[in-house]
Amino acid sequence: MTTLRRAWLYGLVAELEPGRDLLVAGLGANARYLPHLPIRVPNFALCDAMGAAIPLALGMALARPDRHVVVLEGDGSLLMNLGTLASVGAARAANLTVLIFENRHYESSGGQPLPAVDVDFAAVARAARFPTADRLDGAVALGAALRKAREAGPALFVLPTAYDAGEAIPPYSERPDEIRLKWNRALGKESSWQRNG
Amino acid sequence: MAGPAPTAREGARRIVSTLESAGVTLVATVPDTWIGWLAGELRRSERLRVVDVAREEEAVAVACGASLAGGRGLVLIQNAGLLNCGAVIASLVRLYRIPCFLLVSYRGDERDPIYYHAPKGAATEPTLAAWGIRHARAAGPDRVGDQVRQGLTWIDEAQAPFALLFSAEDLA
Repeated sequence: MTTLRRAWLYGLVAELEPGRDLLVAGLGANARYLPHLPIRVPNFALCDAMGAAIPLALGMALARPDRHVVVLEGDGSLLMNLGTLASVGAARAANLTVLIFENRHYESSGGQPLPAVDVDFAAVARAARFPTADRLDGAVALGAALRKAREAGPALFVLPTAYDAGEAIPPYSERPDEIRLKWNRALGKESSWQRNG
Repeated sequence: MAGPAPTAREGARRIVSTLESAGVTLVATVPDTWIGWLAGELRRSERLRVVDVAREEEAVAVACGASLAGGRGLVLIQNAGLLNCGAVIASLVRLYRIPCFLLVSYRGDERDPIYYHAPKGAATEPTLAAWGIRHARAAGPDRVGDQVRQGLTWIDEAQAPFALLFSAEDLA
């Protein structure tokens, strides 16, 4: 059973904890929806750099053990950089949660199918020593999943997502400088280059 | 060919002390022989976290993430891996103007005349120039610490990447 992306996203937004969580979105639909969601935590969206969201979030998690980093990534992007799950497992980043939107299509580039094999990403994560990895059955499961992730991370959850070629995904509406500036302000930066914006 | 490890590692120690004093908190790395020598010194530091990743593009993203979140990340990779990193440097480092220091072992230049390193050695500096990445060659163990310090200052001011290319003799 698959769930609409918007249902996953609104379910997630309701579960994020201000003052604790940081949110990162890989390129594509999630990043494009982000400015239109009522998000109450610092968030950083990639508009390119396919495959970089999880390692970017890993660096954030290691730099900020006082925060919990939630990263949204597509199944195609993860396939491009599957080894990153080994890096996360090796780093034992307990404060990192990976959410994989699995729709088996390269949605941003026209809906081409992924390589025709069903990869069990949760199993790969478990093999990479993630203490928590599972496949979720609908957005209602997000709350319990995130609570578990906060107790035993790093965590990875696969979100089976409906692919709709006609979905009216909003275009990118924030430029990288704006994304970084809002992130810096939200996080309250201290180093000189960040102060300078 | 690995070659013998240098008995003195003054250059490596100067790099570590410079990174510590400059506030670097995280070094994301994929190893090669020379990096293994340097990483041995880095792992002895109580102020630096060495993060082993599976691929060089990841190292760039991990270092950027640390810097965005209030730490200070640095990338330690071989030039073979640097050549993999064009897309992530363009679409993450450049696009978001994130300071990013690339400390790169420079295999295959005239100081490292090994046939299977030579092609990437020949491609490294022209590629950096084509990507518009400011870079320098390390100038020996006496100077390498200062070069790291200057590079770290430059990336903060320029909000751009910088690559320092080092050879085995720079670590000795």
